[in-house]
Amino acid sequence: MTTSTLQNLPPHDDEATRAADQALRDHAGQAGEWHLADLFADDPNRFDTLSLHAGGVLADFSKQRLTAETLEKLRALAGARGLDAWIRCLFEGGEVNWTEGRAAMHWRLRQPARDDGEQDPVQAQLLRMERIVKRILSGQWRGCEGDAITDVVNVGVGGSDLGPLMASVALHENQPPEGRRPRVHFVSSMDGSQIAPLLDELNPATTLIVVSSKSFTTVDTLSNAATARYWLEKAFPDRNGAVLRCHFVGISAKPERMSEWGIHGDNQLLFWDWVGGRYSLWSAIGLPIALTIGMDGFRELLAGANEMDRHFQDAPWERNLPVLLGLVDVWNLNFLNITARAVLPYDGRLKHWPSYVEQLEMESNGKSVDRDGQLVDYHTCPVIWGEVGPNAQHAFYQLLHQGTRPVACEFIAAARHGRRQGSSAELQPLEEQHILTLANCLAQSRLLALGDRALAEDDDTPTYKRYRGNQPSTTLLLDELTPRHLGALVALYEHKVFVQAVLWGINPFDQWGVEMGKKIATDMIQVLGNGDGGDGLDASTRALARYVRERQA
Amino acid sequence: MRIDMFGDTLCAMVTAAAMAQSGHRVRWWLPPGRVARALDDGRVLYQEPGLAELVSSQRRAGRLDCRTDEPGLASANGEPAVSEPAPVVCLALQPGDLERAGHLADWAGRGGARLLINQSVFPVGTTEQMQARLSDAGANTPVVCLPDTLQEGQALDSFTRPHHLLLGCDDREAEVLVRELLRPYNRRRDVLKVMLPREAEFTKLAISGMLATRLSYMNDMALLAEQLAVDIDVIRQGVGSDPRIGEAYLYAGCGFGGPGFSRDVMSLTDTLRSRRIGAELLEQVLQINERQKEVLFRKFWRHYEGDVEQRRVTLWGAAFKPGSDRIDNGPALRLIEALWAQDVDVHVHDPLALPELSAWARGKGTLTLHDDPYEAARDSDALMLVTEWKAYWGPDWDDLKSAMRTPLILDGRNIYDPAYVKRQGFTYHGIGRG
Repeated sequence: MTTSTLQNLPPHDDEATRAADQALRDHAGQAGEWHLADLFADDPNRFDTLSLHAGGVLADFSKQRLTAETLEKLRALAGARGLDAWIRCLFEGGEVNWTEGRAAMHWRLRQPARDDGEQDPVQAQLLRMERIVKRILSGQWRGCEGDAITDVVNVGVGGSDLGPLMASVALHENQPPEGRRPRVHFVSSMDGSQIAPLLDELNPATTLIVVSSKSFTTVDTLSNAATARYWLEKAFPDRNGAVLRCHFVGISAKPERMSEWGIHGDNQLLFWDWVGGRYSLWSAIGLPIALTIGMDGFRELLAGANEMDRHFQDAPWERNLPVLLGLVDVWNLNFLNITARAVLPYDGRLKHWPSYVEQLEMESNGKSVDRDGQLVDYHTCPVIWGEVGPNAQHAFYQLLHQGTRPVACEFIAAARHGRRQGSSAELQPLEEQHILTLANCLAQSRLLALGDRALAEDDDTPTYKRYRGNQPSTTLLLDELTPRHLGALVALYEHKVFVQAVLWGINPFDQWGVEMGKKIATDMIQVLGNGDGGDGLDASTRALARYVRERQA
Repeated sequence: MRIDMFGDTLCAMVTAAAMAQSGHRVRWWLPPGRVARALDDGRVLYQEPGLAELVSSQRRAGRLDCRTDEPGLASANGEPAVSEPAPVVCLALQPGDLERAGHLADWAGRGGARLLINQSVFPVGTTEQMQARLSDAGANTPVVCLPDTLQEGQALDSFTRPHHLLLGCDDREAEVLVRELLRPYNRRRDVLKVMLPREAEFTKLAISGMLATRLSYMNDMALLAEQLAVDIDVIRQGVGSDPRIGEAYLYAGCGFGGPGFSRDVMSLTDTLRSRRIGAELLEQVLQINERQKEVLFRKFWRHYEGDVEQRRVTLWGAAFKPGSDRIDNGPALRLIEALWAQDVDVHVHDPLALPELSAWARGKGTLTLHDDPYEAARDSDALMLVTEWKAYWGPDWDDLKSAMRTPLILDGRNIYDPAYVKRQGFTYHGIGRG
């Protein structure tokens, strides 16, 4: 499958890249003095030149501290860093994940079915998934007592939790056209604090547990799954064989480990090594999404992402949304030295979007070693945090408006709310609430950008009431929050993360930084248990472990 | 008297035929559909004792004039193409046919009908709304409500020998006219309970709700009986012997269905819901019933510990009750869907309902239909008794046992004696029989 190898790619650091980088530094020297209010005053066409629309997403970069010239210089840097060759390499299945020696082909999961779809393993798994979804939605998936399933518990963590959770909540208003969807619950935390109250509420006879783990070794997930299994086996002591067959579905890249754990062969859904966990919501890991919106809706999500894939590959960089979004972030971080970014959805349905993006970006690009194994001497991923915008207005917006730190902001909203469902759907005030929310979104981005100059002139205003402004932001407006447009939005972020990684020369597809902590936690269990192995520890850890031990006794 | 009857419900047919029998001249206007098509072929779709004979004898006698020919039937808005309504107009329409009912009421009012009788099951208050509509239009035709209280399976009998009749009427002259129409069936004692139209409509739904509640209650008790290893049938007899309770509608079973009964309960639930009154009890009643329709499937599933793919199952009975060919809302449908979903091979015998069942199954899945109950049971892994047709009460146990692959009886109507069946070498599970 792989034709391009990493050797064919241009070096990260050479004459050309240094020149492009220097040009940007010189440019940034001037840009550092710019105020957004002036940029708008100077160029009435700013929005037209600095916005674009693709895949049902309108992106407005005009409130960023840049000009068309900035973008041109950024594109020159991307060209020198070989972004075009890297994009080709990604979509040809090259080994873009070089520290683990494999490709990253999440885009394959959303390609439309080919004529020989039967042979295609991706389509084959989609069909298996569809059969399970259909059986559950039609009330024909049976618990061991023969009852229809009413509740599904997704047990997973990280990519097996954040993506499905984010999308299921975002698209919850989209009912499957047929059948009755189960209530879908998400359990991730290893301490059992989520699963315990849930099991108190649920009826074991009508509950299906979905155990999602790429490796099927993740301790957080397996400990929750073991608790669920114990709960079910205790409820039906006479039906131990049927409990596993009727109440557990497994989703993993490791079928043999699923079998070993006890997942019945018919209930195993597979994905592959070449799908990163945080890029896996398009695979069977998306089962909770499909159970929430139906399989047709899930395929719409895939189609939207596929549309963005094609846009990313084909659109010239001047009109290429993932490329521009990535370049703007690089500009803010590396040239304007803005090291924090706030993700602010103005739509409660997107309440899990910030934590989803935190993982996608910080686990992908929180790296500091380049392809040659050298430490980089510049910033990579900024610190990213977020919250539903209107709620954050009552929390950390104070810092954005009057604090000392520059923060790049990202506003996300839906132009139309779209079809509502449920008995409250007819309430006219709800439509007004949507408009109120959008009004707040536009007001905040305007005030952050222009500061006092968004207001009527009044020189007597005391300093503590003043707004500095010049906080840059991007606004992303979905035409409507549909499965298709959400698919495009997620793919947009995936690809911009890749664009940034290419510019920073790092591997966005591994996560070695999260491995060691898991290992030493295993040793620590013994220290907490009987104190064995505590002698070699630092004084702080040793004392904390002793404190815990004394209070457990 | 001349009567115009509208609708193709069982109630329409029974009322039209019985009225014709007592000497009235009835024009019966049927919308296009299965009932009308069957009449055109000289058949009667509703399988009710004595009904087919009565309909054909009254047609032969010329007192029952069935109008199924489309052009004669209706103009665009469903009014008959004749301008003059008979003095008495009856509406026994399908529950969803509210709009058509309005048009017909306008037509009857405009034409100066002396009485409009609504027998359709519509939301509570509909009859009075029709009355207001006519009065607003300047018509002085009174509208009364004569709720359909026919018992399916003995529909004709329950019309001609009623135990009670509800009449919703607040107009003295109209009442006199109704009493005249019903006189042949109201002789021994006065069984007519007269009340306001909305009270009559409500009473009708409340009766169905109460009966359904009794059934679901007993089905809940049956679950408990299984846990406590007692026989719900013994409990039923004990409970029913208390005169405060009485014996009717206490049979645990695999769920009630039928076009009328469950529809009434749903209509009552909808009425409560639309008034923002939580229909908590009735919602539960319906939910228990839906659960109960799958009870035989669950027993089958548990018997084979969920390993049911490719097995063969036989249903004895598909009609929602013996004596009927109707399968609407019946447990057989839910069972078959559940079995299909698990790739189970389904074989069915029913004395009457197979044509209906086959029409329902078309495009949904594969059924093998049998004329012979023992053929249906051949190589079967379970026999589910769904409808208590008399012919099933005393099977030839030896033949049945040698026909089946696994002698497993799942008795959805508790018609067999568990001890006896077990002695014949069968595994037996009834409803609520420990």
